[in-house]
Amino acid sequence: MGDVHPFNRHSDAPPPDVTPIGGTRSDRSADEAVALMARVARGDEAAFSALYDVLAAVVHGVVLRVIRNPAQAEEVTQEVFLEIWRLAPRYDASKGSPKAWSCAIAHRRAVDRVRSEQAARDREDRDHARTPEAADPVSEAIADRFLTQRVRDGLDALTDLQRSAIELAYYGGHTYREVAVLLDIAEGTAKTRIRDGLIRLRDHLGVTP
Amino acid sequence: MTNDLHHLSGAYALDALDDEERRAFEAHLAECERCADEVAGFQATVGELADAVAVGPPPSLKASLLAEVAQTRQVPPVVPERVVDLAERRRRRAPRPRLLAAVAAAVVVLVGIASAARLTASDPVEAVLDADDAVTVSLDTVAADPADLGLDAAALEVVWSPALGRAVIVGDGLVDPGQSMAYELWYLADDGSVAPAGLFVPDGGEIDEVLDLDPYDGVPVGWGVTIEPDTGSAQPTGEVLFAGTA
Repeated sequence: MGDVHPFNRHSDAPPPDVTPIGGTRSDRSADEAVALMARVARGDEAAFSALYDVLAAVVHGVVLRVIRNPAQAEEVTQEVFLEIWRLAPRYDASKGSPKAWSCAIAHRRAVDRVRSEQAARDREDRDHARTPEAADPVSEAIADRFLTQRVRDGLDALTDLQRSAIELAYYGGHTYREVAVLLDIAEGTAKTRIRDGLIRLRDHLGVTP
Repeated sequence: MTNDLHHLSGAYALDALDDEERRAFEAHLAECERCADEVAGFQATVGELADAVAVGPPPSLKASLLAEVAQTRQVPPVVPERVVDLAERRRRRAPRPRLLAAVAAAVVVLVGIASAARLTASDPVEAVLDADDAVTVSLDTVAADPADLGLDAAALEVVWSPALGRAVIVGDGLVDPGQSMAYELWYLADDGSVAPAGLFVPDGGEIDEVLDLDPYDGVPVGWGVTIEPDTGSAQPTGEVLFAGTA
């Protein structure tokens, strides 16, 4: 009763999809990006063009990885950058580097795209509604040749289950429940492996927020 | 439940939650510093995973993007909250002139619930804030599109004292409700009924008025704000813009 009343509605929090954080090892380019971002926030299109040059590959890489279809990925990459432009005045450097912020927007957008398309397909074809996409085999989820040595070392430090869970969630764009089905493990286990895997990866990469 | 939420930090950082869990976790995140720190570290880590798959988009993309950017308006920045810090106010018990200065930027509406006796305290606002049983309820913006309404920087708090039968609403960032319109505060009773708790119109961001209300003996379990005709409505007719639970 009370819980359906609009006053009890949960606040639709302002887009916290924009809460990413992250210093990286390349502090200098991060500082440059922060400076560019400040100019972009003031509507400087030239600065935006420069920021695009810095971030285009990493943003598009994430989007393409998740979506896979190049034409769709380009569309989403363009949407992501438009979003970066639009939201730049709200970017808060104390909460993370422009790269981490942009990557989080990119990943969220890509995931939203694949999930809404999947939902549409599910509506059309109820038979398949409950089965996650026949899944990239884990080994394919991320081909070795794409990995930098640094990240490869980090992933090598994980257990197989941690690594597979993280790869399927991040590169595959799957929810942890789907990850659980794909890896044939309990949902709670998938959730935990993702978290402790990220903790280990974070510590291994020496990433500081 | 709370404990469960802590464990969602990793899945959240990887966008691996469904919408419902994502919302629940984000609400939790606003209150749990430990999770916020953890998510921060994870998101930096995820940036490294992104690096690992970097691949440039076709050059043609940039030109069409820049053309679109030239025609796209940016969101306004978030203006730092000017809402009076109620806890701070209570603690420092500022002398009245200083107090008034402190509230100058805020919208203050004094609301009497239960057909209020005339005010006796020298500062009725302070009387409510200092009441031993004062309960503070933050109202969240729940409008479907706050930015569209110009309310994305708005913040409202209700402090209510059951013993005094009064509430104070403190807020900021409100827009003009429009010709012959006013903001109306509502309370939600534990039986699910909704009753009016007073009208207020921000005037250049400042207001200070006392409202007489219908007697109300229950304990509000929630509060909401809509925009209504300035004569007041018996029940909310406008979109619920702010809401909070006691």
